Amino acid sequence: MLWIALHPPALSLQAFAATLGSAQHALPLALLDAHRIQAVNRVALQLGVKPGLKRATALALAPQLLFGQADATRDAQALHALAHAALAFTPSVTLDGDGPVALPCVLLELQSSLRYFGGLTALLQRLRAALAPLGLRVRIASAPTALGAALLARWRSGFEQGAHSRELHALQRQLDAVPLALLGAAQSQAEALSGMGLRTLGDLRRLPRDGLARRCGEALLDQLDRARGDRPDPREWLTPAPTFEARLELFERADSTAPLLHAAAVLLARLVAWAGAQHARIGAFVLAMHHERRHRAEAPAGEQTELTIALAEASNDAKHLHTLLHERLARLALPAPTLELRLRCDQLVHRAAPNGELFPTAAGAQEGLLRLIERLQARLGPQRVCRVLRVEDHRPERATAWQPALAAAARVSAWPAAPTLTRPVWLLADAQALGERASRPVLDGRPLQLLAGPERIETGWWDGAPAARDYFIAQAHDGALVWIYRARLPLSPAAGEGWFLQGRFG
Amino acid sequence: MDPVPSAALVAAPSPAPSPAPESLHPALWRAHQLARTRTAVLGSGFAALDAELPGGGWPRQALTELLLPHPGVGEMRLLAPALAGVAAGAAGSERGIMLFDPPAPLCAWALAHLGVDAQALIVVHGRDGAFGARHLLPAADLLWALEQALKSGQVGAVLAWLPARLRADTLRRLQLAAQAHAGPAFVLRDIDVRLKPSPAPLRLALHSAGIDTLSVRVLKRRGPALAQPLRLALPPVLSPALRARAEAKRALTQAMQGRVRHPAPVPL
Repeated sequence: MLWIALHPPALSLQAFAATLGSAQHALPLALLDAHRIQAVNRVALQLGVKPGLKRATALALAPQLLFGQADATRDAQALHALAHAALAFTPSVTLDGDGPVALPCVLLELQSSLRYFGGLTALLQRLRAALAPLGLRVRIASAPTALGAALLARWRSGFEQGAHSRELHALQRQLDAVPLALLGAAQSQAEALSGMGLRTLGDLRRLPRDGLARRCGEALLDQLDRARGDRPDPREWLTPAPTFEARLELFERADSTAPLLHAAAVLLARLVAWAGAQHARIGAFVLAMHHERRHRAEAPAGEQTELTIALAEASNDAKHLHTLLHERLARLALPAPTLELRLRCDQLVHRAAPNGELFPTAAGAQEGLLRLIERLQARLGPQRVCRVLRVEDHRPERATAWQPALAAAARVSAWPAAPTLTRPVWLLADAQALGERASRPVLDGRPLQLLAGPERIETGWWDGAPAARDYFIAQAHDGALVWIYRARLPLSPAAGEGWFLQGRFG
Repeated sequence: MDPVPSAALVAAPSPAPSPAPESLHPALWRAHQLARTRTAVLGSGFAALDAELPGGGWPRQALTELLLPHPGVGEMRLLAPALAGVAAGAAGSERGIMLFDPPAPLCAWALAHLGVDAQALIVVHGRDGAFGARHLLPAADLLWALEQALKSGQVGAVLAWLPARLRADTLRRLQLAAQAHAGPAFVLRDIDVRLKPSPAPLRLALHSAGIDTLSVRVLKRRGPALAQPLRLALPPVLSPALRARAEAKRALTQAMQGRVRHPAPVPL
């Protein structure tokens, strides 16, 4: 068995820092839990603020200190994102429930896939790369037992690269030096144990087992044995939730969309980790922004704006999702300052990912074009990026249809063959009425010379837009060809009568 | 310190003929020659035009400016052979053609008749559904979209109808963005701007010169100036019989007008 333990030593603080704007990261931060400081960042530590101080003491030391409230839900969400990122590597992922609550740990069992990943060193490198977007500092340790790996990861900060032991004997030797406080079952009896002069796991192991079991309970011995590999350690594997829902309460209310983007990036990284855990790609997601209440009379939940982003081609690329969100947010006008962000996703595409291409191919170019259209539509709106469709209708104004470019994804394979009728490339949106002089149509004050025609189009009596026209090809004074028609019968007052310019032969 | 013998300085290298600059580097050419391009060009489909364009066709990775008095002088028929080639693609790799802010709604049937597959076209409007509205200033969104399309390098060909009034750096930006673009990029503008400087390496002025005939004046190219405009026979709209009839009629009208205006001296 090869267990890898991931321990984020500053989970609460970094989960809190994610809610801050980018300007506040350089400030000293402290997390408060029950009026005492629970965790501080490096800047605050340099100013002398330590965990365990009271709020007033800390403020005396560092007046510019920024306080945040500890939030177990927020921490749990960040930890789950870590577990999701790990699930992309192996289905055998579990959260360590035996350790102290303040020192959470994610455990992975990877013995069977070690060869696939090309050895432990290559695997750890990929693991670090996969965890990097989540923005958490992670200590990694590997060991033959689950609890052993967890203890090693929590043990010492000196092992930034991770403490790794492959052999059970080596692990048992290392575990003897691990402080007792890291063992979950020892938490409740910490004072009694230190009173007995027991500081490390080694001290505990040397005591007679039956006496220890009588005094301190079975749980302590059980954990010790499981860590050392003397007792089996079955685990229940984690399964990701079928729908993704994450929320982030902003530290400061956001008046514009720029700070929202920073916070949304944190949520997007978690979303991508969740989709990666299921080996699926994201089809659509919804970003909901909860706004501040403007009046007391409003509902307590306040207003919210929802932004749905549907992707043409399901993707798992955080950068692409971020670009789309950026374009959409830039266009959005918020009705009120935003307090909280929620990201929701229940549309996953469980299909094999498209193959990567070494050389540029048609499929690669098609996908690139699709992404470009998606970006243009995100900023300009879907109606302004269109495809042109041919419609079988004799009326020129109805023979061409416009469709948003991505809706036309189902391409028509068998189009009717192009007829031999002559049609101009440019059609006027509304036919332009022409004057008449000496029974000849006049364009821009110069008479037009009729060259070909008439071509009679008489249709549409059944759908309310009847047309009865005689079309001619005419030449304007500068030599360009235009397409004009004479309305034959005044069918409706709107259709008018006389000569009309319909198009230009571009 | 021994003095340098002055004879060594004076002795010039052997008077070998200096190599022709055009043989030194592809970017060099003499003023009376046409430039050669490092990248393959796209044949325009008109032999007379290809002969006058540097490299023998529409340039890729660069802007080409077409200036015309009004839409509908035959510009689409001029570009159609090149666009049809892009849409069909070489070796089955079809690429899209993007049109930015076309001046009027397009007729898909006419395009199909010219050989351009309407399915390959993507039209981007600057304002909501506003066709042909001559804006004084282009929408910032449209220029952004144009630049993105050029930069992405995923589009086969780009046609953009830009207004006459543009900020000086706009075309420069687009020209830089076009360097990432594998196909041709055409900018169609009003003829009024022909005297204004432009960073596009190729500028052509288009005029109609009669039925199914286009006059192309080369305003700027990498090569010598061209005094005479080119006359190109466009893919015909009229059948040969109709065309002959129209020309005969015109000749007759002119002759009649001529007789009226300058009456022949009547012999006494």
